[in-house]
Amino acid sequence: MKRWWLLLLTVAVLAVALAACRGGGAAPETVVVTQGVQVEKESGPCAPQSFDELGEDGVIKIGVPVPLSAPGSVAGGRAMMTAVQIAADQVNAKGGILGKYPVKPIFYDTSGLPERGTAAMEYLITQECVVAVAGEYHSAAGMAEKEVAHKYGIPAIFAETWNDDITAVQYPEVFRIAPASSMVAKGDAQFFKDMGVSWVAIVTENTDYGIPASESTQKRLAELGIESEIYKADIGTQEFAALVSRIAQDITQYEGRKAVLVLITGETSYNFEQQAVEGGLEPSEDLIFVANQVAANAKDFWQNVPDGNYMVFRWVGGGSPFAMAQREEAKGFIEAYKDAWNDPYRFPERYAFEAYDAFMLVVKAIEKAQSLKAEDIIAALESFDSPENGVALAQGVYYFPYGSHNPVPDDQPAWMWHQWPEPKVFFLQYWKVDQHLEEACVIWPADQQTCGTDYLVPGTEPATE
Amino acid sequence: MVATLLHFVPAQMWLITPEFILRLLAEGLLIGLIYSLMALGLTLIFSVLGIVSFSHGEFYMIGGYVVYLFLQKFQNSLPRALTGIGALLAAMLVTFAIGVVFERLFLQPMARGEVDRPNEYAILTTFGLAFFLQYLMLGLMGPFPKKARRFFDLPVFDAGLIQATKASLKIGNITLGAGRLIAGLIALLALLAMLYFMFKTWTGRALQATSQDRQAAAVVGINPMNMNTLAFGLGAMLAGLAGAVLVSVYSWVPWVGVIASSKSFVIIVLGGMGSIPGSLLGGLIIGVVESLGTGLFPDPVRAQAYRDVFGLVIFALVLLVKPTGLFGRKL
Repeated sequence: MKRWWLLLLTVAVLAVALAACRGGGAAPETVVVTQGVQVEKESGPCAPQSFDELGEDGVIKIGVPVPLSAPGSVAGGRAMMTAVQIAADQVNAKGGILGKYPVKPIFYDTSGLPERGTAAMEYLITQECVVAVAGEYHSAAGMAEKEVAHKYGIPAIFAETWNDDITAVQYPEVFRIAPASSMVAKGDAQFFKDMGVSWVAIVTENTDYGIPASESTQKRLAELGIESEIYKADIGTQEFAALVSRIAQDITQYEGRKAVLVLITGETSYNFEQQAVEGGLEPSEDLIFVANQVAANAKDFWQNVPDGNYMVFRWVGGGSPFAMAQREEAKGFIEAYKDAWNDPYRFPERYAFEAYDAFMLVVKAIEKAQSLKAEDIIAALESFDSPENGVALAQGVYYFPYGSHNPVPDDQPAWMWHQWPEPKVFFLQYWKVDQHLEEACVIWPADQQTCGTDYLVPGTEPATE
Repeated sequence: MVATLLHFVPAQMWLITPEFILRLLAEGLLIGLIYSLMALGLTLIFSVLGIVSFSHGEFYMIGGYVVYLFLQKFQNSLPRALTGIGALLAAMLVTFAIGVVFERLFLQPMARGEVDRPNEYAILTTFGLAFFLQYLMLGLMGPFPKKARRFFDLPVFDAGLIQATKASLKIGNITLGAGRLIAGLIALLALLAMLYFMFKTWTGRALQATSQDRQAAAVVGINPMNMNTLAFGLGAMLAGLAGAVLVSVYSWVPWVGVIASSKSFVIIVLGGMGSIPGSLLGGLIIGVVESLGTGLFPDPVRAQAYRDVFGLVIFALVLLVKPTGLFGRKL
């Protein structure tokens, strides 16, 4: 009898706990700190402050935190690592920074986790004595890393972390060349509007990237009169069948064209996308399926999502892949990247471009500062404050319009601080199985279309290629 | 409490149709069959050797990779269905062989009483094997996700109520993925074969006898040491087979076994440690509860994120009522 009472009590506690988990109901908990504890700093940054302080080999170290193991996006991390190594090799082939100081990237695996991000930055700054940091793929790790960069005053250029708060906190040391989530959400919402979509299923990851990105997208969609629903999943999830069924069921409520937008990053997105097609959410005239950006890695995409033909995917950068391929500053990198992967069809993914450029940007800042002091490197980065004063690299001309000399005005969002404002949103679509990225069509925005059409209805082919 | 429960009544209650629930049930049963296959292997090892194998997930991972490599190698030289059967057999053989060799080299000393602290030793050696296999495959296969093609595509047809594309089967409004359907059917056949083996053959009965009383089994002519080897090999093989059927459903990476392994631990405790019917039923229960929970949880935002929680709630409730698990012997 006692056991049944216990059972009943457990059910009641669970019900109350679940109710408490529902958003919006609970008031924020107030924590009162009643006692302060003084902690002595055990170690600090050890970066050389001048070129004279470099060792005999004269090597300048730059820290590169990237995800190289699960649950992070290993594919993303490896791509970024390859790109940074190419950048370092190119700099060193010309004698190094200022033609005489070789540069060495120090990679650290963050697994995309905040605690690993913190450990990475602590290690790179206090043990490896890096003069600056460039990299990171996951916002969850980046959010933690920026705190360490700020604590030690070491400049950090975030390559592929989209969370608005990375730059919104306006730390003097933190710069970003990746787009902010809000920039992308605006582009996404406009795309769906232009495609005549009435409802969007936003499938997102339960992380510092996915949650704000999905909420931001939902808000933008609502502003354009498009309904949406958010479905969260943990990064690393394999089994999505029930979620697919749920979306397939929810979708029946809406008339007209619908869409699925995958904001789950990395390998997990492949699992969802293939299971979605198998579960009846295949692209059709009435359903636009926007796969995660890792679909740009065509070889991995087709292996893992063999039924993913006619999926659309997003490309955010200085230009479309085709425009970037024409840039003189990008050509050497693109060829070197294909060679590094021993795959003539492996066009660099956008996060590879970003990693290459972030690393190069640090190099350019040191060269401009002619100093290894953190404040001088930060000042040099801030001096790239307009397209005219910017640095032309693979993706485009980098500049940061808002910083300590030109604070973010009230009519601009706080995340514009040290933010490269140029990333644009493009939507591409595969229309044949096993296509390479360079064969996909740019379908949006209209003035950038490469196949003379917007969304390709499954079963059709573009009139022009 | 009533008010709390009412709070959970979904806004679109009308969306929950019998067909939708049937679809969730079917998906839960299909994945549950594979959970059962995994858990049966772990149960076999536990009941005969008396240890929990922490390398179970890695045998699952190896099974998937063997199928992937086999299909890559022979996909153009053999008929498709034949390649699929060959790949499954290869995965079973490889995982069985690794299991047998490992048991002979590392676990027999423990069974012979040559190890001072056998429980800790078993944990450390199986953990060691797990790490070794994970990093071995990371080195051999790389970190990038792999996926084997389906063993065969479904024939495309439209017979009114039943329609099929190469990727899915649709019965009324219930759509089931082809890869998952094939995986579930193979798992069902494997489970039936294992049940036949365990309950209808001399060797299967010998395994059961050893699990019940090693000394009594030895008295009637059963070599418990050989049974240990066989049990570990079979357990590894079942995990390998579960991976083999799922490599065409999930993207495969060297750490893919971690989730599968932890799920197996939950299932064998839920079913009752060492109980074969318990692991079968436990797998199906977890599969169905996860599926129904994800599909019917009122808040769509959190439904998928809570997927594992649904199974764990049932797990906790069962243990509360029956601490030995569904079919566990009284402690």
